[in-house]
Amino acid sequence: MIDIHSLSKTYGEQTVLDIEQLHIPAGQTFGLVGNNGAGKTTLFSLMLDLIPPSSGTVTNNDVVVQKSEAWKPHTAAFLDESFLIGYLTPEEYFAFIGGLRGMKKEAVTEALEAYADFFHGEVLGQKKYIRDLSKGNQKKVGIVGTLLSNTPVVVLDEPFANLDPTTQIRLKNLLKEEASATGKTFLISSHDLQHVTDVCDRIVVLHKGKVVRDEQTSTDTLKELEAFFREQL
Amino acid sequence: MLQRFLFLQRKSFVRGAGFATGLAQKILVGFAWVYFAFVFAGLGFIAFFYPQEELGEDPLVFLSGYLIYGVVFWVIARYFLQKMPMVHVQPLLVLPVSKKSIVRFGLSKTVLSFFNLSNLFFFVPFGIILLREEYNPLGVVGWWIAIGSLILATNFLNIMLNSVDRILILVAALLVGLYALQYFEIINLTTWTAPLFMAPYNQPLWALLPVGLLVLSYRWSIAHFRNKLFLDSEAMRPKKETHRAADLSWLDRFGRTAIFLQNDIRLILRNKGARASVWMGFAFLFYGLIFMSDIYSSPVWMVFIGIFVSGGFLFGFGQYVPSWDSSYYPLMMTQNIAYKEYLASKWWLIVVGTLVGMVLSSFYIYFGWETYLAILAGGVYNIGINAYLVLLSGAYTRTPIDLASAKKAFGDKKSFNLKTLLLSIPKVVLPMFLFYVGVLIHSKSMGIAMVALVGVLGFAFRNLVFGWIEKIYQHEKHQTLQAYKQKNT
Repeated sequence: MIDIHSLSKTYGEQTVLDIEQLHIPAGQTFGLVGNNGAGKTTLFSLMLDLIPPSSGTVTNNDVVVQKSEAWKPHTAAFLDESFLIGYLTPEEYFAFIGGLRGMKKEAVTEALEAYADFFHGEVLGQKKYIRDLSKGNQKKVGIVGTLLSNTPVVVLDEPFANLDPTTQIRLKNLLKEEASATGKTFLISSHDLQHVTDVCDRIVVLHKGKVVRDEQTSTDTLKELEAFFREQL
Repeated sequence: MLQRFLFLQRKSFVRGAGFATGLAQKILVGFAWVYFAFVFAGLGFIAFFYPQEELGEDPLVFLSGYLIYGVVFWVIARYFLQKMPMVHVQPLLVLPVSKKSIVRFGLSKTVLSFFNLSNLFFFVPFGIILLREEYNPLGVVGWWIAIGSLILATNFLNIMLNSVDRILILVAALLVGLYALQYFEIINLTTWTAPLFMAPYNQPLWALLPVGLLVLSYRWSIAHFRNKLFLDSEAMRPKKETHRAADLSWLDRFGRTAIFLQNDIRLILRNKGARASVWMGFAFLFYGLIFMSDIYSSPVWMVFIGIFVSGGFLFGFGQYVPSWDSSYYPLMMTQNIAYKEYLASKWWLIVVGTLVGMVLSSFYIYFGWETYLAILAGGVYNIGINAYLVLLSGAYTRTPIDLASAKKAFGDKKSFNLKTLLLSIPKVVLPMFLFYVGVLIHSKSMGIAMVALVGVLGFAFRNLVFGWIEKIYQHEKHQTLQAYKQKNT
C-alpha cells in the first residue's frame, strides 16, 4: 500500500529523517514509536505531502505523493488540531468531511451511530462548536472524522494522547475492530508502548530519524520495546 | 523588566510569519512618518500665521476655540483607525512578573502610536513660534502640558472604547448630544470651551486638571485590564457564542461547491473577524455617496467608485483568502479536494459577493444611469480580473488569521487596516487607466465599456488563468503550510 524510497528530510545541517526503504502492505496496522524528535510526525507529514522531502519519495497505492494529488481520495489523516475546523459543530464537521468524500448527509448520520459509544454522549448533540470542546473531545472528533469516510488508508498521530483512560480502551477496541472488519491500512504513532503493541501488527521504532527496529508484534514485543527505551536513559 | 518585554516584542516581530512583507510595510510606514512630520509641522506654522496675518486674531485664542473639535476628532479617528496593541500574555501569567507590569507594558506601547506622536509635530512647532513671538513662556508650557495630557487621555479612553461596549455607547451618545446642541444652536460650543482651553495659558496651574484626567484614565485602563488577566475572562478567550444553527441545506443542490460555500458562510456567521470584514465591505456600498456631489468634475473617479462600491466583499473579505482557512489548512490539504476545486470555490464566493454588491448598489441609479453603469462595469471588472488578483496575492500573503483570537488580552477587533488598503491599490489603478484610455479615444461611455470589456475577457479566460493560479498555489503550498503554523505575530 505504502512504499518509501530513500526518503530523507534535512533542515540545514541536521537530518531529521532518513529512511532507505519501508514497505507497508495493505491491511496492516502499522505502529510507529520513538522519542520526541525521532521523526514520527515528520514521516507522517511527508506521507501527506505537508512538507517536501529533501530526497526520495512516498508512494501511496501507486501514486507518488510528491507528484500527484490522486492519493487524497483514498487517504484520511488526523495529526493535530489543525485538522479540525473550530467554528463548526461536530455534526457539521462530519457532514463537511463526508460530503467531500461523496457521502450524503443521511449516510453520515447513519455512519456516526457506530461511534456513539466512543463519543460517550459528550460530542454529538451538544450544540457546541468544536473550538469549545475539551482537548479530549476534540481528539474524538478528529479520529472519527478519519474513520467515517471509509478510506483504505488512515493516518493517526498519537491518537491516545489526551484521551481519558476509558476512551483509550474504547479506541483500542475500535481500531482493532475496524482493522479486522474493513481491512483498512492504519498508520498509528504513539508514546504509549502498551497501547501500540496491543493494537498494531507491526512496530517500527524510529530513533534520530532512522529505523532502528522493525518487527511483527508478538507477546515479547512490549518487553523488548521497554528494554530498548530503557537503554536510552 | 521592560528590557525583557522589549526582547519578546522584537522576537515576535522578527520571527513572525509575515516578516518579509512586514518589513517592506514598515519601511513604507517610515516614509509616511517623515511625510506627516513635515505636513503637521507645516500646519503648525499655518495655524499660527494664518489667523494672525489674515484674520487679525490672536492665534492662540483662535486655535483654543477650535480645540474642542480636535478632541472630538481624536476620539473618533482613534476609534476607527488606531490599531490596538497585542501582547501575548498567556505564557507570562504564571511567571514571576506582576500583572500590573504586563498591563503597563501593553498600555505604554499605545503611547508611541502615530496618533500621539503626530500631534507632537504640530504642537511643538506651534508652541515654539508662540515662545518666539514673546508669549508668556510659563503659560505656553502650561498650555502644552494641558493639551498633551488631553491627547494621551483620549489615547487611554480609546483603549476603553475598544474594550467596553458600554463606554463606547456612552461616549457616542455624548458626542451626538454635543453635536445636537451645537446644530440647533442651543449653545455655541466654541465660545464655551475656548476659555477652558485658554485657562492653562492664563494660569498654568489649570494644567493640573487635564493632567489629573490623564492619570485617572491611565489608572482606569490599568485597573480594567489588570482584572481581565484571567484565562477565563472575556478578553482572553472569545465569548462562547451560542450555537447559530444556520440551515444551509438549500445550498446542497449546488454539489461539491456547496460544501465549501456552506463552510464559508458559517465562517462568516460565527467568527468576529470574518463578520467585521463583511460589514466593512457592506459599508463600501455607500462609499460612492461621498463623491456624488462633484463626481462629474473628474470622470476617472467614476471607475474608482465603481470598483469599490461593487467590490466591498472582495476588498473586505476576499483580500484574506485563503488566510481565513489558515487554522485548518493542513486539513484542506489532505482532504479529498483537488487544489483547483478549492480555489474555484473561493472564487465563486467572491463572485457571488460581488454580484450581491452590484445588485445592492442599484440605488445609485438615483444619481443617473451613467453612475450605475460605471458601478456595473466595475463589478464586471472585479469578477473578471480582481477576483484572480485576490487569489493571486493570497498565495503570497501567508499571514495566518487566528479565528478564535484567544490568548490576547488586548485583542484587535478591526480586521480592516492600512495594509488591506495598500493591497487594493493595484486593483484600482489599472481600471482607472483603462477608463482614461477609453475617454481619450472616444467618450466616457467608451471608457466604461473598456473596463467592462476587459472584465469579460478575464472571465472568458477563466480556465487558463485558473490553471496558472493553481500552479502557483501548488508551488507555494509547503511554504504556506509552514507560515500558517506560526499563529501569533
